[in-house]
Amino acid sequence: MKFLSLILKSARRSKRRTALTALSVAVAVFLFSSLRAVLDGFNAGAAGSSSTRIITIRSTSLIFAMPSSHTNVIRGVDGVQDLSWANWFGGIYKDPQNFFAQFAVDAESYLRMYPEVLLSPDEKQAFLDDRTGAIVGDGLARTYGFKVGDRIVLQVGIPIYGSQDFTFTVRGIYKAGGTAVDNQSMLFHWKYADERAIEKGQIGWFVLQINDPERAAAIAADIDQKFTNTPYETKTNTEQQFMASFASMFGNLNLLLGSIAFAVVVTTLFVAANTMAMSVRERTTEIAVMRTLGFPSQVIFFFIAGEGLLISVLGGLIGAGLAMLIVNGERLGVTGGFVPAFGVSTTNALIGVGISAGIGVVAGLVPATLAARLKIVDALRRVA
Amino acid sequence: MLIELRDVTKTYKRDTIEVPVLDGVTMMVEEGQFLALMGPSGSGKSTLLNLLAGIDQPTRGSIKIAGSEIAGLSERQLAGWRARNVGFIFQLYNLIPVLTAFENVELPLLLTDLTKKQRREHVMTALEIVGLTDRSGHYPRQLSGGQEQRVAIARAIVTDPTLLLADEPTGDLDAKSGQDILTLLQRLNAEFKKTIIMVTHDPHAAERATRVLHLEKGTFVAA
Repeated sequence: MKFLSLILKSARRSKRRTALTALSVAVAVFLFSSLRAVLDGFNAGAAGSSSTRIITIRSTSLIFAMPSSHTNVIRGVDGVQDLSWANWFGGIYKDPQNFFAQFAVDAESYLRMYPEVLLSPDEKQAFLDDRTGAIVGDGLARTYGFKVGDRIVLQVGIPIYGSQDFTFTVRGIYKAGGTAVDNQSMLFHWKYADERAIEKGQIGWFVLQINDPERAAAIAADIDQKFTNTPYETKTNTEQQFMASFASMFGNLNLLLGSIAFAVVVTTLFVAANTMAMSVRERTTEIAVMRTLGFPSQVIFFFIAGEGLLISVLGGLIGAGLAMLIVNGERLGVTGGFVPAFGVSTTNALIGVGISAGIGVVAGLVPATLAARLKIVDALRRVA
Repeated sequence: MLIELRDVTKTYKRDTIEVPVLDGVTMMVEEGQFLALMGPSGSGKSTLLNLLAGIDQPTRGSIKIAGSEIAGLSERQLAGWRARNVGFIFQLYNLIPVLTAFENVELPLLLTDLTKKQRREHVMTALEIVGLTDRSGHYPRQLSGGQEQRVAIARAIVTDPTLLLADEPTGDLDAKSGQDILTLLQRLNAEFKKTIIMVTHDPHAAERATRVLHLEKGTFVAA
């Protein structure tokens, strides 16, 4: 403990250098925590998905639609209890930069099948009663200041919905009751979108309620079998697989984001190691003096390594703190509803701080070893 | 006898060439002596001081200080021995710039089991001896050269070591400050019975010592 003040004083020797080193570690930890949060968001969506909901999409891709006539066929499959559908709308709210997810849904069945969409009974009824009504997540409402009764005008983003703007009235603000649903989206009536669609009766995906999760694979196979060799073949998966395939549309996120995080951490490691080496080089005489006073090599080692660890962990705490503050601040609405439950968890923040400690230890290892092995006479002669 | 050096030889290796610095030096120093080591550059006086301080090891020979043979001790053992027995005064003071005068003097005490309160008492006593209690909160950059050297002396005596070693302690000071430092060393020797070995080029500084030895080409010579 008595050496801690010595380490602190030493770290403050060059305030600018210490601050910049801590800042570089902070940036690395911030990026790491944020990127992990994105991955966690996708994984949480899959983990929080229902085992009794399965999803049917076009076999070619989620972006291609299916005819609404599939509805009756799917309903007839043994084991399917309930059914709903939705489309990706892709509208533009004032400016393309104001990105958030909008889904045209069969409202009644959708709310029935997604009890995680939490609405007051009054709001629910108002939404169901209004053909141009919409509900928005509370996170989205906070981001854009939407209130019940507000008008939202969306420009058409996908040409299949014509060219005329869509005007919606906010009838409710929902809360997300589970990670399968996010609070950054807008839901409105599929019929309203379909009325204006150039090709009528197109459905993006079906959500099916099944009675027995154990039979999910068999039911999915039955459904897909029904459409084999038709122009609109399907691919049916559990909601969990659907979420995972949704994430895979962006490529191998684990590899991509993991590589970025790794590169940032390694670069920061070199920066921190170089700084520590410079710092020790400048203090060669001081270290020699401390050794002359009787400080053993081990104490010198921990003194230098401790300084690296302290600066790095300080940066880690700043980075993790900023990540929690900025990424978890819903006002940014950074995911636009793409990633449910997006946020830096405490575990992620702690891992980030752990990584910063790792950077500090590794970066300080070589300079600390060199300082501990310093030959006193040689070091004193250098300045004499 | 406090110090017994017998047939001490020190050879440095520069690339493949062996450079002899001390050649079979034998020296006895009694407790309470103030010894000045003089000699031209390269005569081996600083090397001898380093050997006595336990920061370098002889190539051959025996160094016995206060009954302990230090030639051949491990690095770890030597560190402990230095902390207990040696106070070192450098020519360039070598204070830690980020520490105050008080903290610089306290530094060697961090290796002891003393409590914070006890450390404080020791430090203030040392600063009082060198006349710098009023500068205890000052950083080295806020002190004059003479004051820095006095802080360095306080750091050297704070553990009450067996031996005080000074390497050109006035070499970087003006005449007035140099005289003050020599007076302080004399006082430490006379009043506190400290055994002091001082390396110096300056004959006037050597006059303050109770005994003077001359080194030339690694051996003692008559003055």
